[in-house]
Amino acid sequence: MQKVLSKIAEVTSDPYAYVAGLKDRTGKRIIGCFPMYVPEEIVHAADLIPVVIWRGNESVTWGHAHVPAYDCGIVRSFVDDAVRGKLGFMDGMVFHVRQCLQVGEFPLIIERNVKPAYMKILYLPPIYPGDGVRSFLLDDLQSFKTSLEDFTGKKISDDDLKRSIDIYNENRSLLERVYEIRRERPGILKAREVMQIVWSSMLMPKEDHNELLEELIKGMEKKTVESKGDRVKVIPVGCLCQTLQFDILDMIEDMGMVIPDDDLYIGSRYFANKANINGNPIEALADRYLTKIPLCPTKGVWDIHWGDEAIKQMKANNAKGIISIRVKYCPPHTCYYPDFKSKMMEESVPEVMIEMEHEIMSLEGVKTRLQSFAETLGGV
Amino acid sequence: MGVEYKINRLAATNDMRPMVDRHWAELRAAKERGEKVAWASGPSFVFPYAMGMKCHFMAGYAAYCGGIGAADELMKLAEASGELPETCSYHRLHMGMVEAVKKEIPIKKPEAILPLPDLLVAGRYCTEQSHYSESFYRRMGIRVSPLELPFIFEKEDRPRLREFVYRQIKENVIPNLEEVCGKPFDYDRLSEIISVLKKAATIRNECWEFFKTKPVYWTLWDYAVSMAPVIYMMGDPESVPFYEKLLKELRERKEKGIPAMAPDGEKYRIYWDGWIPWAFLGKFMRKFTPNGAVCLCGRYPWEMFPHPELLDTEHPLETVADWMYGEKGLAKNMAPKESVEFIGGLIEEYSIDGLVMFSSKSCRMWNLSQMDVVDALDKRYGIPGVVIEADMIDPAMISDSQIDIRLQALFETIDGRRRR
Ligand code: SF4
Ligand code: SF4
Repeated sequence: MQKVLSKIAEVTSDPYAYVAGLKDRTGKRIIGCFPMYVPEEIVHAADLIPVVIWRGNESVTWGHAHVPAYDCGIVRSFVDDAVRGKLGFMDGMVFHVRQCLQVGEFPLIIERNVKPAYMKILYLPPIYPGDGVRSFLLDDLQSFKTSLEDFTGKKISDDDLKRSIDIYNENRSLLERVYEIRRERPGILKAREVMQIVWSSMLMPKEDHNELLEELIKGMEKKTVESKGDRVKVIPVGCLCQTLQFDILDMIEDMGMVIPDDDLYIGSRYFANKANINGNPIEALADRYLTKIPLCPTKGVWDIHWGDEAIKQMKANNAKGIISIRVKYCPPHTCYYPDFKSKMMEESVPEVMIEMEHEIMSLEGVKTRLQSFAETLGGV
Repeated sequence: MGVEYKINRLAATNDMRPMVDRHWAELRAAKERGEKVAWASGPSFVFPYAMGMKCHFMAGYAAYCGGIGAADELMKLAEASGELPETCSYHRLHMGMVEAVKKEIPIKKPEAILPLPDLLVAGRYCTEQSHYSESFYRRMGIRVSPLELPFIFEKEDRPRLREFVYRQIKENVIPNLEEVCGKPFDYDRLSEIISVLKKAATIRNECWEFFKTKPVYWTLWDYAVSMAPVIYMMGDPESVPFYEKLLKELRERKEKGIPAMAPDGEKYRIYWDGWIPWAFLGKFMRKFTPNGAVCLCGRYPWEMFPHPELLDTEHPLETVADWMYGEKGLAKNMAPKESVEFIGGLIEEYSIDGLVMFSSKSCRMWNLSQMDVVDALDKRYGIPGVVIEADMIDPAMISDSQIDIRLQALFETIDGRRRR
C-alpha cells in the first residue's frame, strides 16, 4: 500500500516531469484536456494519452501579459505554464469553452503563442430541456471524434470506443471502492492522499492507474485503522477544476475533523457515473455528461438544489458539517454560493466557506475560520 | 498653452431619457394591470415582445440603474444579503433589486424597482446568465425558459451553432411563451418589430457615418445613451423619429462645422472595447476630453444590427437566428479570434489612433484574451492599445490612478508614433 502511495505522490508532486516522461516511455502523443468535462475516452480510443490539465505550483509570471489577475487560479496558472513553454510535451489541447467565461480566454492565447499540433474547442451545452440539447451534444462529440481521426489519420471504431469506456469505467469502479473503504474506515488515508489518488488518475494512463488501484485496494482491505469514532466528520464541497492546497486538507485533519467522503472535482465528482457500455458509445458519453448529479454549477441545472445534494451526502456519511471550498474568481461557484449557504442555514447545517487562491495565501486566516468551525461542531 | 478641449453636447440625445423612463414605467404598469411580464437576458427579449408582453433586459436594466445612480445602493443590498462582491455586478444588481422587492426595503431611486416576472427568458450568452436565472427559480419559483447562446469560436462551427439555437427557440422558448400567455406565438408581430427595427437601424447607420469623418460630429458616449431603440426598445414606434432627429442634428452640425470636440476637433480617435461604463460616463469623459481624445466606436455598441439590410421581415424567426448566428451575426465578435477581424475592420473604417480595452473585473464576456487581441492588432495595424481595469457599474472596482496612468501611456505612445 505504501509503495503505491509513494508512486502516486511521485506522479503528482511533479506532473510535468511525469507526463513528459510518459510520452518518452510510450511514444504516444499527449492531449491536455482542460477540466472538467472533456470526454477523455474519445482521446483514449484514438490511441492518444489524455491528461487532465492541472494548476501549477508556481506563481504566475509571464502569464500576467495574457490573462487578468481576476481570473481563477487554474486559468492563470495554465496560461502561465503554456507561455513559459512548460507544456511543450502536450501535442494537443482541448477546451470546453461553455463551462465558464474564463475558459474562453484560451483559444486565442494558445493559438498565438504556443499552438500545439492539435487543438479542439468543445461547446458542451448546459443540461437544458428539449431534444435539441442532446442532439447538439452528440454532434459536438462526433465532431470531437472526427477531429481526432483527422489528427491521427486513423478511424475510431465503436469497438475502440467501447474498449476505452470499459477501461474508464473500471477506473471509476476502483476509485469508488477506495472511497467505499474510506467511508467504512475514515482516516485510513489522509485527505491529501485521496486527492493525490484521484489526481493521479487524471495524469496516468488509466490502464496503469487501474493496476495501481487494485494493489492499493488490496492493501487497504487488509489495513486496520484505529477507530476515529470520536472525531467529527465533515464533507468538503466544491473546488471546481483544481487541486486544493494540501495544507488545507491537513489542517482540517489536524484540527481533529475527519473526512469520510467529498464532493470535490479532484475527488468524487471526477469518477462519478459510468458510461453505458451497451449501445452507441457516443450516446453513452453524452448521457454520462447529461447526468445532473453530482450537481455542477457549470451545467445549468435548476431543478435540483446543490445544497440538498450536499446535505444528503453529509447525512449518508453521518457527518456533522460541510466545508465549502470556493476557488477565488470562479463565477459558477461564486454565483451559486449564496443559495447554497441559505440552504445550509434553513436546514441548520453547520457550514463554513474557505476561499482558495492560486498564489500562496495566508493560511492563518483559513486556520482561524476552520478553528471556529470545528468549535461550532463540538466534540473536537 | 495647450488647446482647451471641450465636448459640444448633442440636443437630440436628451429625448432618450424620457423614452427609457417610459419603457420601465410601462413594465410596472403592465404588471399592475394584471398582464404577464417577462425578464430576459441576452437579446432574447424580442420573443416576449412578439407576444405583446412587456419585458426587461438584463444589461439594459443595469445601464438604466447605472445612469440614474441606483446601482451602488442595490449592489450593497445584494452583498448584505449574502452575494459575494466578486460576482458580476449585473447579477448582484438584480439580486439586490429582488431583495428590495421581497423585503419591501425602500430605496432612494424607487424607479429602479421592477415587478417580478412571470417568465424568465434566460438567454445564456455568458454562463453567469444561467446562474442568475437558476437562482430566481430556486428563490422564487419563477418559471425559466433557458436558451443556450454560445459564442462562435471557430468559423466552421457557425452553421451547427445556428441550427442549435434556432431549434431551442422553436422547441423551448416559443412553447413556453405560448403556455404562459395562453395564445399562439405571434409571428406577424415579430415581423412588425423587425420592420421598425430595420428602419431605425438604417437611419442609425447613417448617423454612424458621422463617426467616420475627421473631425467626428458625435461621440461614442452620445451613441451609447442612444442605443436602446436598437436594443431592448426595438420595435418601439418612437425609435424611428428619434434617430431621424439625431441624424438631422448631425447633418446640421456638419453643415455648420461644429465638431464633437471643441474648438477644432479631436486629437486622438479612440476605439473602446467592452461594455459601456454606464455609471461612469461622466468620469471617463473627464479623462478623455482634456486630452482631446474621443471614443468613437466599439465592439459592443456595434453588435446590434450593423447590417439592417440583412433583416428579413418575411422570415422573422430565421432573421432572429441570423442576427445572432448568421455570417455577420453578433455572437461571432465576442470570441477572441473573430474580434481581431472585427476590430481590425473598425480601425480602418473609423481611422482609429488607439485602442482602449475596458476590462470589466466582474464580467469577463468582452475581456477574453484582450491583451492578446491588443497585441495582434498592434502587430497588424500599428495601432497601440491599453487595457484598463474597471467595472460597468461597481464603483468599488474603479481605480482612477491605474486608469489615468494607462491612458496617459496610450496618448504618449500615439504621439511617439506620430513623430516617427
Ligand atoms: S475553476 Fe471555475 S472559473 Fe476556473 S475554469 Fe473552473 S469553472 Fe471556470
Ligand atoms: S458576466 Fe457579463 S455578460 Fe454575463 S451577466 Fe454579468 S455582465 Fe452580463
